[in-house]
Amino acid sequence: MSYAYLFKYIIIGDTGVGKSCLLLQFTDKRFQPVHDLTIGVEFGARMITIDNKLIKLQIWDTAGQEAFRSITRSYYRGAAGALLVYDITRRETFNHLTTWLEDARQHSNSNMVIMLIGNKSDLESRREVKKEEGDAFAREHGLIFMETSARTAANVEEAFINTAKEIYEKIQEGVFDINNEANGIKIGPQHSPSNASLPPGSQSSSPSSGCC
Amino acid sequence: MTSTLLDDRRDACRALKALSKKYRLEVGAYGMDAIRTVLAGDRPDSEIVGYALDTLANICSPQVFTEEERPELGHECLLHVGEQFTEIFLKQSDGVSLVLSFLEEYDFKVRWPALKLLSALATNRLRDIQEIILVSPMGVSKLMDLLGDSREVVRNDTLLLLIQLTKGNANIQKIVAFENAFDRLFDIITEEGYSDGGIIVEDCLLLMLNLLRNNTSNQNFFKEGSYIQKLGPMFDLPQESNEDALWSPQKVSNIHCVLQVVRALVSPGSPGQVTLTCQYLLMAAGIVQALCRILMASGVPVDVLTEAICTVGESIRGNSANQEFFSTVLAPFTPPKEAIVVLLMSMVNEKQPFVLRCAVVYCFQCYLFKNETIQAQLVQTLLPSTTEVSNVTCGQLLCSGLFSHDSVSNWFSSVCLSHALIENPVQKEQLLRVLLAATAGNPPVSLLHQASLLLQQCGKVQSKVGLLMLLSTWLSHCPMAVKQFLSIPTAIPYLTTQAGSNERDENEELVQGLCAFLMGICVLFNNDSVASYTKENLRHLIGNRVGRENFVSKLSEVSRHEQYSKAAKQPQPRAANSEELLLDHEFCKLFKALEGMIIKAVTSSDGGPGGGGSGVVARYKDLIRDQDRRLAETQATVLRLQQEGAALESRLEEAAAHVARLTDENMLLRAQVGSCFNVYLFTIDKT
Ligand SMILES: Nc1nc2c(ncn2[C@@H]2O[C@H](COP(=O)(O)OP(=O)(O)OP(=O)(O)O)[C@@H](O)[C@H]2O)c(=O)[nH]1
Ligand SMILES: [Mg+2]
Repeated sequence: MSYAYLFKYIIIGDTGVGKSCLLLQFTDKRFQPVHDLTIGVEFGARMITIDNKLIKLQIWDTAGQEAFRSITRSYYRGAAGALLVYDITRRETFNHLTTWLEDARQHSNSNMVIMLIGNKSDLESRREVKKEEGDAFAREHGLIFMETSARTAANVEEAFINTAKEIYEKIQEGVFDINNEANGIKIGPQHSPSNASLPPGSQSSSPSSGCC
Repeated sequence: MTSTLLDDRRDACRALKALSKKYRLEVGAYGMDAIRTVLAGDRPDSEIVGYALDTLANICSPQVFTEEERPELGHECLLHVGEQFTEIFLKQSDGVSLVLSFLEEYDFKVRWPALKLLSALATNRLRDIQEIILVSPMGVSKLMDLLGDSREVVRNDTLLLLIQLTKGNANIQKIVAFENAFDRLFDIITEEGYSDGGIIVEDCLLLMLNLLRNNTSNQNFFKEGSYIQKLGPMFDLPQESNEDALWSPQKVSNIHCVLQVVRALVSPGSPGQVTLTCQYLLMAAGIVQALCRILMASGVPVDVLTEAICTVGESIRGNSANQEFFSTVLAPFTPPKEAIVVLLMSMVNEKQPFVLRCAVVYCFQCYLFKNETIQAQLVQTLLPSTTEVSNVTCGQLLCSGLFSHDSVSNWFSSVCLSHALIENPVQKEQLLRVLLAATAGNPPVSLLHQASLLLQQCGKVQSKVGLLMLLSTWLSHCPMAVKQFLSIPTAIPYLTTQAGSNERDENEELVQGLCAFLMGICVLFNNDSVASYTKENLRHLIGNRVGRENFVSKLSEVSRHEQYSKAAKQPQPRAANSEELLLDHEFCKLFKALEGMIIKAVTSSDGGPGGGGSGVVARYKDLIRDQDRRLAETQATVLRLQQEGAALESRLEEAAAHVARLTDENMLLRAQVGSCFNVYLFTIDKT
């Protein structure tokens, strides 16, 4: 299946906030209840549709543990989007956001789209960070924001797709140089920007199946 | 060198570089610090930086220069000079980052020696350099940028350095892949003409191999990025017009490498899901088909052919769609033959190279792996059938291999047949029906009987080991086969003698151990239908004739054999020479699964208690004795009922077997009558 665009994402944030679970829910529609510490990075992929165009997402799920921080930094430069995740039941993961953001801004290209995610929204009873706080942080730093649950899948699709929409809009506005692969964007094999015709029968903004 | 004038320092540096091969020790010992100062301070002057980097590259070089050889210094003591200077250089912090930063300089005079220096450092201290590069910001990215350098030397040396750096380091492998390595590599490969390209194509494939081998994340990335399809043109081989040109040494290396890349994607060691998807994609991309064409083409060099056979094997292993496809592949003969038959013909042919025969065995195992249909098809070719078969079949080839005088063929054929039975109770019973025509005048003998006789008669360890593995696989979990085996008059006496023997020779001990294992299987899966060898009788026999401890120690000879751990590691039989070919991977799995159960079944004894004690203890002992007695009575009843049940069951089985035999005979007779009838009609016609 050939795509119109390919976007590279990274997922960052403290250990245990649910990065790998978000990816797994998005690619395989499964939830993994035990914490399987990520070592280095792991790769995942899925096809989605935006504006009637097939978009391939290639996602690198990074390790949140301090020891892997320098390895994680190697992935900022080539990414078009980043999901910055904290855990709404653990305030310290929210407090660390500034450090993550500094790191990301320093090493990524300036157009990288960052989506702030407050994960584990299903654990309302153990909430330590109010939704308004996430909202405020996002507004202050110019990020998009959503609360998600990798367990119930609430907002998981939306988080990945809205990030892609934002990138897509930036491309339309001409902000991204799509010919520079270092931006984390590739044009599909059969698509040149002038000839981005629609694949017949595809629906707007609905995710296609995971396998491709 | 410490002169304040740049010009003077530049001259000094040039001089140092000139001396750095011949007087490497001196230059390194006295000049290292000064050179570092130049690197840190004179960055804008590319000429002086170039000299400094060149000098360092020479000092740290892992090779011994002819210029530096001196009679008073042995060659030995020059060998480690580069390594020692590397160590000194690495002690100073941020030395490597400094060198990495010079990669960003476009000037050839700077970039190239920086690359050479990194390569020397990596050769001497790979782990250290890998760690440093991982923590230096954009370390890998900087190298990746150099792959696009239009100057070929730079590009090629970058490639070589990346091959070094990705060795055994999953983190670097993933970053390199993230930095679009696969795109870059395929760009180069396409530009250079795929498998017809030069050594640069081979280097690209080597890097690809490093990125993929044992790296699930990158394998996922590779398949998701549609790179498998891009491998396709590598296998476009022109028609055999000029074979010498077709198989230049470089082409052989290129194909060999790309085959390994494919194998890295479908390696039996990877998680099943990745392997399965990659297998489908290889088929969809036409690569499995292309590989089969290589298998059947003429003039293909043996090492390419061998690797291609293994690659086909792993591309179909455990994937029923691909296995079925393979069963339909035909070799271009007149009349066409099935490819798998042609391969087996090479396997049982002594004149074929040993490595090739090993590859075929592996491919055949992959073909049968977890596929009941294909297993059944193979056994079917051995059974009496109604349809006239004029072509030679897999079954016939394996039988001829089984009874050949060549022990390697015996081993291969035994193992292949055993793979048709793995986890397949139906085929174990089907194979019992196979009858072999004996010498003229004698009634036909069952395959099982014939194999047991062969075991007793043949003198070669390899053949015996093969047959014992076949019999063990066959009898395991199959009481009917055990029963037929126990009915062979000489079978158990032979095993008892072997297992009880004290001959000390490494390989004889293996045979003895396997005999003990087979006996153990006869105990475990015994339904007590052969009166002289019931479970209990066999246990007594082992106790009396072999000795329980001896039996257990004989068993342990198998897992202690050096070939056991080798075979247990991976499914592909890997033997440097034919003598090493002893144990099969799947058999090792069976052994591991059953060994404990056998020991328990054989040693759990009815041995009595011992020792005395005080009053209370004595009372309890009485109580226990009483309970024991009642327990024994109950057990005896259970046993009697079980035996009665088993006897009934076996009568039923006998009847079923009888019916099956009658059906076969009936079919045979019908076929004969049919042909007589035809002749009859024919004669009538004539008259
Ligand atoms: N209730 C609930 N639990 C979650 C959710 N997401 C993740 N978890 C749990 O949180 C734990 C950590 O999840 P991971 O996805 O492995 O965390 P991570 O961010 O990848 O951690 P590192 O790999 O160490 O960086 C696991 O036990 C998950 O089951 C969620 O949305 N709701
Ligand atoms: Mg994780």
